Amino acid sequence: MSKRIIGKDFKKVDARDKVTGKALYTRDIYFDDMLYMKVKRAPFPHAYLRKLNTDKAESLAGVVKIITAEDYPDLNKYGLIYKDQPVLIGIGEKMHYMGDPLAIVIAETEETAKRACELIEVEVEELEVVTDPLQALKKDAPVIHEELSGLLTDRLDKKLNPANILCDHYLEKGNVEEGFARADKIFEREYKTQHIDQLPLQSEAGVGLYDEDTGTVKIWAATQWLHDTQADVAQSLGLPKEKIRIIQPTIGGAFGKKEDISVHIHLALAILATKRPVKFSYTRKGSMITQSKRHPLIIRHKTGVANDGFLTAWQTEVIGDVGAYASSSPAVVHKGLYHCTGPYNVANVRGVSYAVYTNNTFTGAMRGFGTAQMAFSYDSQMDLMAAELGIDPAHFRLQNAYEIGSSTPNGQILTRSVNVRKTIKEVLAMTEGGK
Amino acid sequence: MKITLTVNDEKREVETSPTTRLLDILRDDLHFTGTKEGCGKGECGACTVIMNGKLVSSCLVLALQADGAEILTIEGLSKGDQLHPVQEAYIETGAVQCGFCTPGMILASKSLLDRIPDPDEQQIKRGLSGNICRCTGYTKIIEAVKLSARKLAGKGGEEDE
Amino acid sequence: MKKRGQGMATIMFGFGYGEGFPDHSIVSIEFEDESLLIRTAAADVGQGVLTVITQIAAEILKIDPDLIKISQGDTHLTKNSGSTSATRQTFFTGNAVKQAAEELLGKIYHYASLEFRSNHPELIVKDGHIFRHDDPENKLSYWQLAEIVSQKGEELKSEASFFPATDAPDAATGQADNVYVAYTFMTQKVEVEVDTVTGEVEVIEVNTAMDLGKAINPRNVEGQIEGGTVQGIGMALMEDQVIQNGITLNPDLTGYLVPTAMDSPHFKTSLIENEDADGPFGAKGVGEPSMIAAAPAVANAIHDAIGVRFYELPITPDKIKKALKDKIF
Ligand code: FES
Ligand code: FES
Repeated sequence: MSKRIIGKDFKKVDARDKVTGKALYTRDIYFDDMLYMKVKRAPFPHAYLRKLNTDKAESLAGVVKIITAEDYPDLNKYGLIYKDQPVLIGIGEKMHYMGDPLAIVIAETEETAKRACELIEVEVEELEVVTDPLQALKKDAPVIHEELSGLLTDRLDKKLNPANILCDHYLEKGNVEEGFARADKIFEREYKTQHIDQLPLQSEAGVGLYDEDTGTVKIWAATQWLHDTQADVAQSLGLPKEKIRIIQPTIGGAFGKKEDISVHIHLALAILATKRPVKFSYTRKGSMITQSKRHPLIIRHKTGVANDGFLTAWQTEVIGDVGAYASSSPAVVHKGLYHCTGPYNVANVRGVSYAVYTNNTFTGAMRGFGTAQMAFSYDSQMDLMAAELGIDPAHFRLQNAYEIGSSTPNGQILTRSVNVRKTIKEVLAMTEGGK
Repeated sequence: MKITLTVNDEKREVETSPTTRLLDILRDDLHFTGTKEGCGKGECGACTVIMNGKLVSSCLVLALQADGAEILTIEGLSKGDQLHPVQEAYIETGAVQCGFCTPGMILASKSLLDRIPDPDEQQIKRGLSGNICRCTGYTKIIEAVKLSARKLAGKGGEEDE
Repeated sequence: MKKRGQGMATIMFGFGYGEGFPDHSIVSIEFEDESLLIRTAAADVGQGVLTVITQIAAEILKIDPDLIKISQGDTHLTKNSGSTSATRQTFFTGNAVKQAAEELLGKIYHYASLEFRSNHPELIVKDGHIFRHDDPENKLSYWQLAEIVSQKGEELKSEASFFPATDAPDAATGQADNVYVAYTFMTQKVEVEVDTVTGEVEVIEVNTAMDLGKAINPRNVEGQIEGGTVQGIGMALMEDQVIQNGITLNPDLTGYLVPTAMDSPHFKTSLIENEDADGPFGAKGVGEPSMIAAAPAVANAIHDAIGVRFYELPITPDKIKKALKDKIF
């Protein structure tokens, strides 16, 4: 039966509110008696916090409250997969990047909160900054996190510095040695990608209040996964989940950036401390420095191909810059690795990936989740191999592309919906006007 | 200080400070929250409004400069339930995704069409180049402006399902 | 001098969390006043999941989509729909809505067959009403039926969860049978123009063919491809948050360039719809795959235009000028 609505250019259900300005995004929500807050961030990317003096800030007219780690000594660390991110850095503790929070300032106006932040005096003991994951992997590199990650496998290369590695992953399919032995040509190349900001046009923001009747903190904040955010806020504050209620306003773009906790825990603390409505908005600059980025990946491919144009072996090493905290890294870096051959048949695959801590802004989810960087590398590699072999690049792709029954680098046999060859033929038809 | 400004044909008085941004007056004092803040530095166009007939970034306009001005925000574009043709065109072409750029983008489109009723592609791109959209890749926004031009010229341009 | 080149890229993307992570979406549907209320916590970040599930529910339940309302996401009023990430919402929440709508439709038939003293094959649903095929005048609206059901102390509503299992890859080899629920494929061929004096690259045309099973809303899919591709062009040519010694040197949009309307190429898009995937109506996810091919396609096109291959992103005008200068020697 033909469908009435499926497959049709049906109008977006939320478009009318968006073109009239009626759609309510977080910052469009106001309450009477509302306070504003800002967070004092680290002045140096890798350092011990030695002194924090809030006296001047506190005496500024309009400042309602300043919260530091001393006020809440029992907060738990948070994070999407691996909980390594502190809510507030205490005296004697280490800051790991420029976004680390030192104090929460709550005031009658946003301007006052901002001025008060500037009045907070911070003394730190600077440590050597590790900004390059290759340096972090070396045995003599400064250690970023004191505790060893619980995610390391026993396959980890003993020559590397485990202290700065968040996780390691592997691929072994077929027999790469044999595959390379069968190759007529072998190509080794290294690719590098950059830090990218997801840059949703709406920066992070939250507004919330304390519901006296139920003893609940109610927060309106855009988030890509309400229930996960709720759970992480609750565990971090040591509260039952029901005491944290998160409501989704209209979302001004996300692209991965709104998976992580941003305003939520600090906002909840401010609400609990004042029992008044509070609004917390990041500036663009704050968002760029504090919240997650796309991973810079170093990708090394060694690929073997026979003169007939069939791939015989594919070996990949990936080093991902995690930055200061895990965020989605335990899932992103190896997702890139797991896509290392692209949609091309290779019987013999070997791979390894390392997610490596540095003192850079932490990296996390961004549209593509490791596979965008990987695609740049594998399809550049395919292109250069085609050129070296003197084969038309479209034909080279077509010849090696998956079909039903193909096996991915993970050894997953594809049994359904594999029309990749059709996409190549279709694009050729579109650009050359005929099949 | 007290300033007077006309927003969407309505005269308003606001008690403010000379250095408060027009963006904050519109949002915090008058609750025209359709005007968005994307950067606060004149780089993104999310805060675009029309002031005295000209496109401005309201994050760069101070209260003092806005005193006595006539302002059009996104809320003033539709008349009751009747959408402005540019708004209709944005819906019909699918030019709206997250919608955060949309109010500014629509006002920039309107202002462009006020100046050039039948713009070509390059003129549209240039006319919108101060407004960042992170979602759409601009293709459908450019289409929306073309459709708006047809609508405003009275050619209907209905192309709905 | 301006030099043109063409480049191609073909990509795959395994979507959903996969790898054995629990991954599901729970949705419920109920009648409310004049409307049908879908409860979901699925976040619409602009991609259009709320539109997609409205279409799915309206299609299955044969009602006017304008009568469908979707609750605001709220941890206390909606159940877990999983994240809007991993290209999963159309597949996961779409399937959950489809299941919930089918279950509700079954209940509508069940309760109506009691009222009409007939069996399911004799009943017809149309425009939010149900009636016997031989007596179309004597019809009940879904809302009337819901009222009748509630008078019996029962409820006309449904809830469904879509929860497909995947396998965790072996830690030492990464091997497993079922790592991701499905894969989306896409090929793009782009044409670029490189200005050899300024080093600037303009992407002129983008041709896309995507293997997506089924487009629930083709215009939204085009929007994903166009928006994703332009993000990919940003990745290829300009975007770079420069962090030196832990400090970001360009934390604003003056220093950090993103594509503007001036960078928007011409798109030709072809959707390959074999309706052969396990998503609703045979659909697969498109959100992430739509952005992945642009960077390699652009890099390959630049190589085609000027004979230089770049191994490091972004390929900025400075890098191109330098490479062209080095090439002369
Ligand atoms: S907020 Fe004014 S231009 Fe960005
Ligand atoms: S629609 Fe999201 S920024 Fe334009």
